[in-house]
Amino acid sequence: MNHQGGWELIKNTWQSWLQHRGFFFLLAFGWMLPLLVYLMIWSAAASEGSLTGLSQDTLAGYYLVLVLVNQLTYATTNWTVGDNIRMGQISRWLIQPMSPLYHALSSEIAGKVVFMLFSVPVTAVLALIFRPQFNLSWQQSLLFLPSIVLAWALRFFWGYWLALLAFWATRADSLLALQDTMIFLLGGHLAPIRLLPNWMQSLAKILPFRYMSAFPVEILTGFLDKNEIFSGLLIQLGWTITAYLLYRLVWIRGVRHYEAVGG
Amino acid sequence: MAEPIITVKNLTKVYRVPERAPGLSASIRGLFKPKFQDVEAVTDINFTIQPGEMVGLIGPNGAGKTTTLKMLSGLLYPTHGEAKVADFTPWDREPEYLQRISMVMGNRSAMNWDIPPLDSFRVLSKIYKVPQDQYQRTLDELISLLDMEALLKKPVRNLSLGERMKCELVAGLLYHPDVLFLDEPTLGLDVAMQRRLRIFLKQYNQQHQVTVILTSHYMADVSALCERVMLIHHGGLIFDGALQELADKLAPFKLVKLQFTTPPSNLEGFLTQFSTVEYLPSENGHHILRVARSDVPKVTAEILSNLPVADLSVEDPPIEAVIDQIYEEGKV
Repeated sequence: MNHQGGWELIKNTWQSWLQHRGFFFLLAFGWMLPLLVYLMIWSAAASEGSLTGLSQDTLAGYYLVLVLVNQLTYATTNWTVGDNIRMGQISRWLIQPMSPLYHALSSEIAGKVVFMLFSVPVTAVLALIFRPQFNLSWQQSLLFLPSIVLAWALRFFWGYWLALLAFWATRADSLLALQDTMIFLLGGHLAPIRLLPNWMQSLAKILPFRYMSAFPVEILTGFLDKNEIFSGLLIQLGWTITAYLLYRLVWIRGVRHYEAVGG
Repeated sequence: MAEPIITVKNLTKVYRVPERAPGLSASIRGLFKPKFQDVEAVTDINFTIQPGEMVGLIGPNGAGKTTTLKMLSGLLYPTHGEAKVADFTPWDREPEYLQRISMVMGNRSAMNWDIPPLDSFRVLSKIYKVPQDQYQRTLDELISLLDMEALLKKPVRNLSLGERMKCELVAGLLYHPDVLFLDEPTLGLDVAMQRRLRIFLKQYNQQHQVTVILTSHYMADVSALCERVMLIHHGGLIFDGALQELADKLAPFKLVKLQFTTPPSNLEGFLTQFSTVEYLPSENGHHILRVARSDVPKVTAEILSNLPVADLSVEDPPIEAVIDQIYEEGKV
């Protein structure tokens, strides 16, 4: 492990990303928009009272938190991993005495800081307009912390191992688009999971996608009881470990397979 | 002789390359039944290099130079064979090994393009765990050797190719590697910049005794820097020795250049008396003769006493021509 080098890299990547902050602010705005559209649709549907127990202000709370959680967990880096492999850029990192994972982590962390610079104030303004309501206990808000960290780790490593398939298939990033679609459907974006048909709800609870985005939001907005939170955290942990192991496996075999193309 | 720092035994790399006819239907067939072809990039090469040596690795495009460097730097697993560099097996890629080598590629950047070079250097110094005071000293030394004070605060993307190459060299040498792999370091640079980089490399090598393997298509690089060259062709090592020896072996002749006060009426007829002289097409008023080394004194004496010579010079054939001949013929 080489944490000192990793930390220096993070600081540097952050500086270089801030140079393009306009671009990242626009990206962040683009991700925010669909969620706000769904918020308005569901709020309109709930205008006559409540929708399976969800009122307009709880829906507003759900979607506004989701905007932030989605941006905190979205692993933008993974979209560039495939290119770095395909174009041979990864060669540079492979001959440094530091795990190339640090390069992905550094742009992850740097990216989060830049996105939050935009998203937190914007969400705060939106909160003044939509007036969300939260009914949560302090225990729940504490459990939100491990769940958001795991959600990020799961979403990152899941995308990372998919992206690393670029060692074999040149356009592995289409799998990332598939991951995004699954999160859209089963990760609480299209609708809070409890509004989905039963079969989709059961699917969402087993598959990893809910645990990459909706799950921490459900904890923080008080959608879940204690049992649901603990069993959810266990499943989330299980998937995170699985994703990490898949990453290790694909990485080790991929590097051996790597033909170091391009010069 | 000291222990060699690089030992290579029977090193071989075979690539499996997907093969596909052009067109849509062929690409669909390829999805289900991909075809592969084995391409031998490097075949059974053997050599050793002593600490502090500067060796030129030459050969035409696709000969296997870069593949060899990639195996030695640990980027590629060989198909079979062994290599030891500084007592490590490169492709185990142990951090202690990577700490001791550096690979500078003319066509690949180690720098972050958005920020000034100084920031990238600082990150690299942390990655390579260079103590702060040593970092400052090395940096000062490299910056003055390369005369690049003015570049340090501009973002890398605003630098010219030559300026960027200076930065790449600093990035590659910041942590005092023992072995330096230089893959086409002067690619695309103008003649003046090439010369400056060569002077720098020579100086640096003398001061720090770093072992260098250099690939380049510019023979000027190789002849200025490397007493020893290894020539790779079709994946095999076909020559390993002094550059001059290669030239002598391949070109056992010299070029005699002539200028006359008045054009001689029957130059070619005059030359027929020498069996080893070949008349090459004249270049802007210069007449060039290719003469076997041993006959040079006799031939020049005869010419000087019989023809109205204004100027006469005897030269070695340009190394490019020699190399070109090997690339064409594929053997030494």
